[in-house]
Amino acid sequence: MTVRVALIGNPNVGKSVIFNNLVPGARQHVGNWPGKTVEKKTGKYRYNGEEYDLVDLPGCYSLTARAVDELVSRTYILEEKPDVVVNIVDASNVERNLYLTLLLIELEANIVVALNQMDVAKSKGYTIRTERLSSRLGVPVVETIATQKVGMEKLKKVIETAAKSPKPASMTYPSDIEGLIEKLVTILSADTSLVTHHPARWLAIKIIERDKEVLEMIQGTPLDSKIEEVFA
Amino acid sequence: METKLSDLKPGNAATVIKLTGSGAIKRRIADMGITSGARIEMIRNAPLGDPVEFKVRGYLLTLRRSEAEGVIVSTEAQR
Repeated sequence: MTVRVALIGNPNVGKSVIFNNLVPGARQHVGNWPGKTVEKKTGKYRYNGEEYDLVDLPGCYSLTARAVDELVSRTYILEEKPDVVVNIVDASNVERNLYLTLLLIELEANIVVALNQMDVAKSKGYTIRTERLSSRLGVPVVETIATQKVGMEKLKKVIETAAKSPKPASMTYPSDIEGLIEKLVTILSADTSLVTHHPARWLAIKIIERDKEVLEMIQGTPLDSKIEEVFA
Repeated sequence: METKLSDLKPGNAATVIKLTGSGAIKRRIADMGITSGARIEMIRNAPLGDPVEFKVRGYLLTLRRSEAEGVIVSTEAQR
Protein backbone atom coordinates (compact mmCIF):
# COMPACT_ATOMS: atom_id res chain seq x y z
CA MET A 1 0.00 0.00 0.00
CA THR A 2 1.26 3.42 -0.91
CA VAL A 3 0.83 6.21 1.63
CA ARG A 4 -0.07 9.54 0.04
CA VAL A 5 1.43 12.57 1.78
CA ALA A 6 0.95 16.25 0.91
CA LEU A 7 3.28 19.04 2.04
CA ILE A 8 1.70 22.43 2.62
CA GLY A 9 2.77 25.67 4.24
CA ASN A 10 3.25 29.40 3.84
CA PRO A 11 5.66 30.46 1.12
CA ASN A 12 9.31 30.34 2.11
CA VAL A 13 9.05 28.14 5.21
CA GLY A 14 11.35 25.43 3.87
CA LYS A 15 8.80 23.15 2.25
CA SER A 16 10.94 22.34 -0.72
CA VAL A 17 13.97 21.71 1.48
CA ILE A 18 11.95 19.17 3.46
CA PHE A 19 10.70 17.69 0.19
CA ASN A 20 14.25 17.30 -1.10
CA ASN A 21 15.37 15.82 2.22
CA LEU A 22 12.63 13.20 2.21
CA VAL A 23 12.80 12.24 -1.46
CA PRO A 24 16.01 10.66 -2.73
CA GLY A 25 17.17 12.99 -5.53
CA ALA A 26 17.08 10.52 -8.39
CA ARG A 27 13.36 9.88 -8.20
CA GLN A 28 12.27 13.48 -8.01
CA HIS A 29 10.51 15.18 -10.89
CA VAL A 30 8.54 18.37 -11.45
CA GLY A 31 5.02 18.25 -12.82
CA ASN A 32 2.20 20.58 -13.73
CA TRP A 33 -1.34 20.70 -12.46
CA PRO A 34 -3.79 19.93 -15.24
CA GLY A 35 -4.87 23.20 -16.80
CA LYS A 36 -3.11 25.28 -14.16
CA THR A 37 0.08 27.26 -14.29
CA VAL A 38 0.86 26.50 -10.67
CA GLU A 39 3.51 23.84 -10.37
CA LYS A 40 3.51 20.94 -8.01
CA LYS A 41 6.37 18.62 -7.27
CA THR A 42 5.86 14.94 -6.65
CA GLY A 43 8.28 12.32 -5.40
CA LYS A 44 8.54 9.03 -3.57
CA TYR A 45 10.43 7.69 -0.59
CA ARG A 46 10.46 4.43 1.33
CA TYR A 47 10.27 4.09 5.08
CA ASN A 48 9.99 0.85 7.09
CA GLY A 49 9.10 -1.08 3.96
CA GLU A 50 6.25 1.22 2.93
CA GLU A 51 6.20 3.46 -0.09
CA TYR A 52 5.27 7.12 0.38
CA ASP A 53 4.04 9.34 -2.45
CA LEU A 54 4.85 12.93 -1.62
CA VAL A 55 3.24 16.00 -3.20
CA ASP A 56 4.63 19.49 -2.60
CA LEU A 57 1.64 21.86 -2.82
CA PRO A 58 2.05 25.53 -3.78
CA GLY A 59 2.99 27.75 -0.85
CA CYS A 60 -0.02 29.66 0.47
CA TYR A 61 -1.12 31.81 3.41
CA SER A 62 -4.77 30.90 3.23
CA LEU A 63 -7.16 28.49 1.51
CA THR A 64 -9.70 30.77 -0.12
CA ALA A 65 -11.39 30.10 -3.43
CA ARG A 66 -10.13 33.38 -4.81
CA ALA A 67 -6.48 32.62 -5.51
CA VAL A 68 -5.64 29.84 -7.94
CA ASP A 69 -2.70 28.47 -5.92
CA GLU A 70 -4.81 28.36 -2.76
CA LEU A 71 -7.71 26.72 -4.53
CA VAL A 72 -5.36 24.13 -6.03
CA SER A 73 -4.16 23.18 -2.54
CA ARG A 74 -7.65 23.15 -1.09
CA THR A 75 -9.11 21.11 -3.94
CA TYR A 76 -6.23 18.65 -3.71
CA ILE A 77 -6.85 18.04 -0.02
CA LEU A 78 -10.62 17.77 -0.43
CA GLU A 79 -10.70 15.63 -3.53
CA GLU A 80 -7.50 13.59 -3.43
CA LYS A 81 -7.82 13.12 0.33
CA PRO A 82 -4.12 12.48 1.06
CA ASP A 83 -3.53 10.08 3.95
CA VAL A 84 -1.39 12.64 5.76
CA VAL A 85 -1.00 16.40 5.30
CA VAL A 86 2.31 17.73 6.59
CA ASN A 87 1.86 21.38 7.51
CA ILE A 88 5.24 23.08 7.60
CA VAL A 89 5.21 25.95 10.06
CA ASP A 90 7.94 28.58 10.35
CA ALA A 91 8.88 28.35 14.03
CA SER A 92 10.26 31.89 13.87
CA ASN A 93 6.83 33.18 12.84
CA VAL A 94 4.34 30.88 14.50
CA GLU A 95 1.47 33.33 14.88
CA ARG A 96 0.99 33.99 11.18
CA ASN A 97 1.70 30.39 10.15
CA LEU A 98 -0.80 28.78 12.51
CA TYR A 99 -3.64 30.49 10.67
CA LEU A 100 -3.17 28.02 7.82
CA THR A 101 -2.96 25.20 10.37
CA LEU A 102 -6.41 26.13 11.69
CA LEU A 103 -7.80 26.24 8.13
CA LEU A 104 -6.40 22.73 7.57
CA ILE A 105 -8.03 21.53 10.79
CA GLU A 106 -11.33 22.97 9.47
CA LEU A 107 -10.77 20.96 6.30
CA GLU A 108 -10.58 17.85 8.51
CA ALA A 109 -7.21 16.90 7.06
CA ASN A 110 -5.06 14.36 8.91
CA ILE A 111 -2.35 16.82 9.89
CA VAL A 112 1.22 16.56 11.12
CA VAL A 113 2.87 19.88 11.95
CA ALA A 114 6.58 20.26 11.17
CA LEU A 115 7.87 23.18 13.23
CA ASN A 116 10.68 24.15 10.90
CA GLN A 117 13.48 26.71 11.18
CA MET A 118 13.82 25.99 14.90
CA ASP A 119 17.36 27.39 14.69
CA VAL A 120 16.04 30.75 13.48
CA ALA A 121 13.39 30.75 16.23
CA LYS A 122 16.08 30.10 18.86
CA SER A 123 18.31 32.84 17.49
CA LYS A 124 15.37 35.23 17.79
CA GLY A 125 15.11 34.20 21.45
CA TYR A 126 11.85 32.28 21.13
CA THR A 127 11.03 29.30 23.30
CA ILE A 128 8.26 27.10 21.91
CA ARG A 129 6.48 24.63 24.15
CA THR A 130 6.05 22.03 21.44
CA GLU A 131 4.21 19.50 23.62
CA ARG A 132 1.68 22.11 24.67
CA LEU A 133 1.22 23.33 21.08
CA SER A 134 0.59 19.74 20.04
CA SER A 135 -2.01 19.11 22.75
CA ARG A 136 -3.79 22.42 22.15
CA LEU A 137 -4.00 21.83 18.39
CA GLY A 138 -4.74 18.15 18.78
CA VAL A 139 -2.15 17.23 16.13
CA PRO A 140 1.41 15.84 16.33
CA VAL A 141 4.15 18.49 16.19
CA VAL A 142 7.74 17.70 15.16
CA GLU A 143 10.62 20.17 15.52
CA THR A 144 12.83 20.34 12.43
CA ILE A 145 15.76 22.28 10.97
CA ALA A 146 15.42 21.20 7.35
CA THR A 147 18.57 22.95 6.09
CA GLN A 148 20.62 20.83 8.53
CA LYS A 149 18.46 17.71 8.01
CA VAL A 150 17.53 17.81 11.71
CA GLY A 151 14.30 16.04 12.66
CA MET A 152 13.78 14.25 9.34
CA GLU A 153 13.77 10.69 10.78
CA LYS A 154 11.36 11.79 13.50
CA LEU A 155 9.15 13.40 10.87
CA LYS A 156 9.02 10.19 8.82
CA LYS A 157 8.17 8.24 11.96
CA VAL A 158 5.36 10.64 12.90
CA ILE A 159 3.99 10.56 9.33
CA GLU A 160 3.97 6.76 9.51
CA THR A 161 2.08 6.81 12.82
CA ALA A 162 -0.42 9.39 11.55
CA ALA A 163 -1.05 7.34 8.39
CA LYS A 164 -1.73 4.19 10.42
CA SER A 165 -4.04 5.80 12.94
CA PRO A 166 -5.59 8.99 11.53
CA LYS A 167 -6.88 11.34 14.19
CA PRO A 168 -8.21 14.49 12.53
CA ALA A 169 -8.38 17.36 15.02
CA SER A 170 -11.34 19.70 15.40
CA MET A 171 -12.04 23.20 16.59
CA THR A 172 -14.97 24.57 18.52
CA TYR A 173 -16.25 28.07 17.83
CA PRO A 174 -18.29 30.31 20.17
CA SER A 175 -21.79 28.94 20.82
CA ASP A 176 -23.65 31.34 18.47
CA ILE A 177 -21.51 30.18 15.55
CA GLU A 178 -21.70 26.53 16.60
CA GLY A 179 -25.52 26.90 16.63
CA LEU A 180 -25.44 28.14 13.04
CA ILE A 181 -23.02 25.39 11.98
CA GLU A 182 -25.28 22.75 13.52
CA LYS A 183 -28.36 24.03 11.64
CA LEU A 184 -26.45 24.17 8.35
CA VAL A 185 -24.95 20.69 8.83
CA THR A 186 -28.45 19.27 9.29
CA ILE A 187 -29.59 20.88 6.04
CA LEU A 188 -26.45 19.93 4.10
CA SER A 189 -26.56 16.29 5.19
CA ALA A 190 -29.68 15.85 3.05
CA ASP A 191 -27.50 16.16 -0.05
CA THR A 192 -25.54 12.93 0.20
CA SER A 193 -23.41 13.46 -2.90
CA LEU A 194 -22.28 16.86 -1.64
CA VAL A 195 -21.32 15.66 1.82
CA THR A 196 -19.55 12.53 0.56
CA HIS A 197 -17.06 14.73 -1.23
CA HIS A 198 -16.80 17.55 1.30
CA PRO A 199 -17.01 17.49 5.10
CA ALA A 200 -20.45 18.89 6.06
CA ARG A 201 -19.04 20.95 8.91
CA TRP A 202 -16.44 22.52 6.64
CA LEU A 203 -19.14 23.40 4.07
CA ALA A 204 -21.20 25.00 6.85
CA ILE A 205 -18.25 27.12 8.03
CA LYS A 206 -17.53 28.23 4.44
CA ILE A 207 -21.20 29.15 3.90
CA ILE A 208 -21.01 31.36 7.00
CA GLU A 209 -17.86 32.94 5.51
CA ARG A 210 -19.71 33.42 2.19
CA ASP A 211 -17.00 31.44 0.37
CA LYS A 212 -17.53 31.92 -3.35
CA GLU A 213 -16.83 28.37 -4.48
CA VAL A 214 -18.97 26.71 -1.82
CA LEU A 215 -21.87 29.11 -2.42
CA GLU A 216 -21.70 28.23 -6.13
CA MET A 217 -21.83 24.54 -5.26
CA ILE A 218 -25.16 24.90 -3.46
CA GLN A 219 -26.62 27.52 -5.77
CA GLY A 220 -29.66 26.21 -7.60
CA THR A 221 -29.91 23.07 -5.45
CA PRO A 222 -32.94 22.45 -3.22
CA LEU A 223 -30.72 23.30 -0.24
CA ASP A 224 -30.32 26.89 -1.34
CA SER A 225 -33.58 28.29 0.00
CA LYS A 226 -33.35 26.33 3.26
CA ILE A 227 -29.88 27.73 3.84
CA GLU A 228 -31.08 31.27 3.19
CA GLU A 229 -33.80 30.73 5.84
CA VAL A 230 -31.11 30.05 8.44
CA PHE A 231 -29.65 33.50 7.81
CA ALA A 232 -33.01 35.26 7.54
CA MET B 1 -7.92 58.36 18.28
CA GLU B 2 -9.27 56.54 15.26
CA THR B 3 -7.39 57.00 12.04
CA LYS B 4 -6.57 55.22 8.82
CA LEU B 5 -3.66 52.81 8.79
CA SER B 6 -2.28 54.80 5.86
CA ASP B 7 -1.96 57.89 8.09
CA LEU B 8 0.54 56.33 10.52
CA LYS B 9 4.10 57.67 10.46
CA PRO B 10 7.22 55.49 10.71
CA GLY B 11 7.51 54.14 14.27
CA ASN B 12 3.81 54.75 15.08
CA ALA B 13 1.97 51.74 16.48
CA ALA B 14 -1.78 51.23 16.61
CA THR B 15 -4.49 48.67 17.20
CA VAL B 16 -6.70 47.53 14.34
CA ILE B 17 -10.36 48.51 14.87
CA LYS B 18 -11.99 47.32 11.66
CA LEU B 19 -11.58 46.73 7.95
CA THR B 20 -13.74 48.76 5.62
CA GLY B 21 -14.44 47.79 2.06
CA SER B 22 -15.43 44.33 0.96
CA GLY B 23 -14.61 41.40 -1.24
CA ALA B 24 -11.32 39.76 -2.06
CA ILE B 25 -9.01 42.54 -0.86
CA LYS B 26 -10.65 42.76 2.55
CA ARG B 27 -10.53 38.98 2.94
CA ARG B 28 -6.92 38.92 1.85
CA ILE B 29 -5.93 41.60 4.34
CA ALA B 30 -7.68 39.68 7.13
CA ASP B 31 -5.95 36.48 5.98
CA MET B 32 -2.61 38.21 6.39
CA GLY B 33 -3.36 38.82 10.06
CA ILE B 34 -4.79 42.33 10.03
CA THR B 35 -7.86 41.67 12.14
CA SER B 36 -9.57 43.69 14.83
CA GLY B 37 -7.43 43.84 17.95
CA ALA B 38 -4.13 43.16 16.17
CA ARG B 39 -1.19 45.46 16.98
CA ILE B 40 0.38 46.99 13.93
CA GLU B 41 3.39 49.25 13.51
CA MET B 42 4.25 51.45 10.55
CA ILE B 43 7.85 50.76 9.54
CA ARG B 44 8.55 52.81 6.42
CA ASN B 45 7.38 54.15 3.10
CA ALA B 46 8.82 53.20 -0.25
CA PRO B 47 10.69 56.13 -1.83
CA LEU B 48 7.61 57.47 -3.61
CA GLY B 49 5.33 56.93 -0.61
CA ASP B 50 3.74 53.76 -1.92
CA PRO B 51 3.76 50.89 -0.93
CA VAL B 52 4.05 51.03 2.84
CA GLU B 53 5.70 48.49 5.12
CA PHE B 54 4.10 47.44 8.42
CA LYS B 55 4.98 45.04 11.19
CA VAL B 56 2.08 42.85 12.28
CA ARG B 57 2.00 39.55 14.19
CA GLY B 58 5.77 39.32 14.22
CA TYR B 59 6.46 39.79 10.53
CA LEU B 60 6.78 42.53 7.94
CA LEU B 61 3.90 43.09 5.53
CA THR B 62 3.85 45.52 2.64
CA LEU B 63 0.54 47.04 1.55
CA ARG B 64 -0.46 49.44 -1.16
CA ARG B 65 -1.39 52.80 0.29
CA SER B 66 -4.91 52.34 -1.09
CA GLU B 67 -5.25 49.07 0.83
CA ALA B 68 -3.97 50.65 4.06
CA GLU B 69 -6.61 53.36 3.67
CA GLY B 70 -9.29 50.72 4.17
CA VAL B 71 -7.98 49.73 7.62
CA ILE B 72 -9.24 51.77 10.58
CA VAL B 73 -6.91 51.76 13.57
CA SER B 74 -6.80 53.27 17.03
CA THR B 75 -3.67 55.07 18.19
CA GLU B 76 -4.79 55.11 21.84
CA ALA B 77 -2.08 54.23 24.39
CA GLN B 78 -1.07 50.59 24.18
CA ARG B 79 -2.85 48.09 26.33
